[in-house]
Amino acid sequence: MQPILKVQALSKTFKIRDRFFLRKKFKVLEDISFCLSKGETIAIIGETGSGKSTLAKILAGAEVSQKGQILLEGKVIEDDGKRKTSCRDIRLIFQDASKSLNPGITIGKTLNEILLMNTHYDAAQRQESIKNNLLKVGLLAEHQDYYPHMFSGGQLQRIALARALILEPKVLVLDEALSSLDPSVRAQTVNLLLKLQQETGLSYVLITHHLSLVKHMSDQTLVLDQGKVIEAGKTQALFIKHKSKITQRLLNC
Amino acid sequence: MQLLDIRNLTIELETPDGIIRAVDKVSLSLKEGEVHALVGESGSGKSLIAKAIVGVLNSRWHITADRMHWQGIDLMRLSPEKRRKIIGQEIAMIYQDPSSCLDPTAKIADQIAESIPKKNLKGYFWQKKKQKKERSIALLHKVGIRDHTKILHSYPHELSDGICQKVMIAMAIARSPKLLIADEPTTALESTTQAQVFRLLKSLNLLKNMSILMISHELEELSSWTHGLHVLYCGQMVEAGPTKKIYKSPYHPYTSALLKSLPDYNKGLKHKHEIYALKGTIPTLQHLPIGCRLGPRCPQAQRDCVKTPKLNTQHERSYACHFPLINIETNKGNSKCSPF
Repeated sequence: MQPILKVQALSKTFKIRDRFFLRKKFKVLEDISFCLSKGETIAIIGETGSGKSTLAKILAGAEVSQKGQILLEGKVIEDDGKRKTSCRDIRLIFQDASKSLNPGITIGKTLNEILLMNTHYDAAQRQESIKNNLLKVGLLAEHQDYYPHMFSGGQLQRIALARALILEPKVLVLDEALSSLDPSVRAQTVNLLLKLQQETGLSYVLITHHLSLVKHMSDQTLVLDQGKVIEAGKTQALFIKHKSKITQRLLNC
Repeated sequence: MQLLDIRNLTIELETPDGIIRAVDKVSLSLKEGEVHALVGESGSGKSLIAKAIVGVLNSRWHITADRMHWQGIDLMRLSPEKRRKIIGQEIAMIYQDPSSCLDPTAKIADQIAESIPKKNLKGYFWQKKKQKKERSIALLHKVGIRDHTKILHSYPHELSDGICQKVMIAMAIARSPKLLIADEPTTALESTTQAQVFRLLKSLNLLKNMSILMISHELEELSSWTHGLHVLYCGQMVEAGPTKKIYKSPYHPYTSALLKSLPDYNKGLKHKHEIYALKGTIPTLQHLPIGCRLGPRCPQAQRDCVKTPKLNTQHERSYACHFPLINIETNKGNSKCSPF
């Protein structure tokens, strides 16, 4: 089966300040490659500064890489730092839902804007799509007239999910999206994500430091350290048997 | 000896719409050298309790308690000055967000030097400066920072969150307090630093016999090293007791739901299967249900749950539920759950 998302030798360097007026190159990501099939989840774990979030941003198109390709269903969408299409098929969910939503406009408007920018739907179709998506994540159609401050943390995370799902993406990148939630809300969100995956065959890129979630949700795991892939493999196997010391240290705490 | 003994602590907030009871009759006691954890989701009033103990809540909050003893002295009856003196010497607190709690305009060296008590310094004023520096370096070494010169000469924004948290701990232990209140010390940190901070707190507890009151919303990271556990829900204490026993068999439906929501503790959970979760969301302080506050979300709520359950104590464990899970297990034959 053809993988839905394929990343080949992705690299990125930042230029940071060095002594005097010199600049030095700092490699954030180096030769990252992985494949993700339909309906599967890949977890990315690593310490801070290992390039997890940069990878998430590159996948979603918020930043560009310098080398390497990203292929979505066999089509190249990013080649050596050139993004071919504005990508609707990979969507990103951020850590803090309450800060990533515009507090000044209603939920319905937030969702409407996305459709307005990215699709050719007319007003009725947009309304239909917003309604369906709110229902899909377990909210009501009436919620579109509410402002973000009227929701609790768990509901905001659902709205963030609805905002990501409204363009019917194939891959969803969760950048620490579950870490800041309370345990019971987190369990609810995980259930929702798993249900969506079963129903629609969505693929997830899960970036988290919660190992129990990684163990429960993911099929594959990728261990990053200083921009390099240290270890990769099936989650179950990796948790039982791992080679490198860095993985050992990450898994032990 | 009981270090801290609190009985029926109630914290109320005055609002234009009336008085809101944010913390409702919470009892808590802590012995010397013990590590206790206060667990609850956001809005359950954990931080409020910590702030009430330290006495940093402003006058909008009304604090009442039947008893709030610190080593036999009733803190509620003391004048603010005396209370501040006792607390300043013997209780230290670490706050949630380390990088924002440090003074952004001062160097770490000055901030640590400020927290070192003056009575420990000897000699004339020109000698004290050197002593302060030596003490700060020793404190930094104690919390596991080796590169002290660089850290001492930097501002908080130049340091990572983990190091800021360690600096906060260093400042807290400068007075060698008897009780350390750690208010979610690891929420901002990632797992490896988190483990370091826990190891540090653990060693402080073992080596200095320092009692610790840990406040957290994650059950899984507390399981291995705390002696006692207090579970809060919406300002009510739902269950308290020794950590191991609670993990083994929770009595309260909420504790059991919390434990079941962790994939690690839910044995027999298949890969990618649904995790057990309570329905609904945590009610806001303005719309608290009457009686047992878990009532509307509780899987086994019955008519009696509109009355506030009393805290029952049994074999050093206490729980506040009309229908605790212990009865269902022991009286399986009976259709009614009889109170004992």
